[in-house]
Amino acid sequence: MKLTPLHEKVTQRMQPGVLCLEGFLGEDRRPLPEIIDADSSAVAGMGLTHEQIADELSVVLRHAMAAMGTPVEVQQDLSAVYTEAMGRIPSPWPGEGVFAKGEAELTDTRTGTTVRFTPLSVHLIRAHGFYEGKGARYRLAPRTIAAMLRLI
Amino acid sequence: MTALYIILISAGVSAALSVLLATLLIVAERYLVNYGQCKIDVNQGAKEFDVRGGESLLAVLRNENIFIPSACGGRGTCAYCKCKISAGGGPLSPTETPLLSEEEIAKDIRISCQVKVREDVKLEIPEELLLVQEFTAEVERIRDLTHDIKELRLKLIDPPRIEFTPGHYVQLEAPAYEGNPEPVFRAYSISSPPEDAEHLELIVRLVPGGICTTWVFQHLSEGDDVHFTGPYGEFRLSETDAPMVWIAGGSGMAPFWSLLRHMKTHGIERQTRYFFGAVSKRDMFFLDEMKQLEEELSWFRFIPALSGDEPEGEWDGERGLITEVVGRHVDSGDGLEAYLCGSPGMIDASIAVLHEKGIPDERIYFDKFA
Repeated sequence: MKLTPLHEKVTQRMQPGVLCLEGFLGEDRRPLPEIIDADSSAVAGMGLTHEQIADELSVVLRHAMAAMGTPVEVQQDLSAVYTEAMGRIPSPWPGEGVFAKGEAELTDTRTGTTVRFTPLSVHLIRAHGFYEGKGARYRLAPRTIAAMLRLI
Repeated sequence: MTALYIILISAGVSAALSVLLATLLIVAERYLVNYGQCKIDVNQGAKEFDVRGGESLLAVLRNENIFIPSACGGRGTCAYCKCKISAGGGPLSPTETPLLSEEEIAKDIRISCQVKVREDVKLEIPEELLLVQEFTAEVERIRDLTHDIKELRLKLIDPPRIEFTPGHYVQLEAPAYEGNPEPVFRAYSISSPPEDAEHLELIVRLVPGGICTTWVFQHLSEGDDVHFTGPYGEFRLSETDAPMVWIAGGSGMAPFWSLLRHMKTHGIERQTRYFFGAVSKRDMFFLDEMKQLEEELSWFRFIPALSGDEPEGEWDGERGLITEVVGRHVDSGDGLEAYLCGSPGMIDASIAVLHEKGIPDERIYFDKFA
């Protein structure tokens, strides 16, 4: 797949050590549009939109941030804790501003499933349908996160 | 099949030509374009110098030992290296626009690493930045304060002494290392008192996936040389004698640890209640040191609080979010000054409580980790 200049630039900014130590793609070797297309298909296949998932994650983030590092139950059997960190991180897509660096850890206490995401993750899902590459620290597999948020 | 080959070859040739053209433009910009000598005027003549045009303004200033805070090393991503350019900055670049507010753009604020010097430039920066120096130091001691917080004690080498005010911060350089291709700079409040001018102490909390903190936690050793610039910042004790409330969490301890020892040394006696929040006991540190100072200083009280579910018997201090604890202890904000250092969430929530207590914004001073 041929990448557009924008996708080339974004892919470069997603590499480890450019904007953050581990980057955004994990061990995923697929081209960026392919990662986005596959996750978009998965989201559409569940009858959902990226906006719905981003909205729910925003709610979780808001509750967790208000608890200042203390675990909080955001829904029944769903606990979240937000760890704040110094500084801000820009979006890999140029010109989209900077985002707080902290991370939320979301745990489904029924199944023990845990995922982590950041304010930037929510933006990337909403604006680009990008859930990060497989193996990335903040990868949110659409089906996993949709199930945890009780959207399916 | 032949048509497919032709298409593929055409695409390949086209891509190769694009790369060649881009490379030629970069080479031409670097070696052939001559912007000549450009005059840089900082703060209306406070400092003037001539440079050969072509470099970024941030780099030019750094070469002249003027250190504007920057975290990303000039990649145009952190938006810290802002300055006012009244003449010669050229048009606003597309990389700057998203990092500036409309108000900043109207006031000629620019991102200095994205401004290329092509003509004479007049700029304005805070006066204190002209006093910032670049330091080399040796790591004298690294000690664990908690499971994810370390204290660095640095012995200054060149220059051998530093002058600063409690509340100031420095920009520590994390060099390139495996996984991090280019140096970056991160801001840390100074935690040592200014009286110990030959040393500098910093409190560093591990950021998961953070470039600088990973370097500190996994690569930095005692005996290593480090580089930093400083001092920076406007967070400092006012010159009143108003009673104070301090609120901090995590590595937000740093400026208060510096300030408290400075106040003790100089006999500055202002009624002070220091609220320090953590989730669990394993996140607490300096409890013994604070208790000792409470006994020595009649005007000082330390109020640590845990927000997590620490088992009964494990903790006999305050419990709850630090904002709730402040709410319980502070009846009225009349005449009080408040000083805050920590995460944006903690500071925003604390400011809301302080407002409820009647403390106006002009008596709330904070150092936000942002």
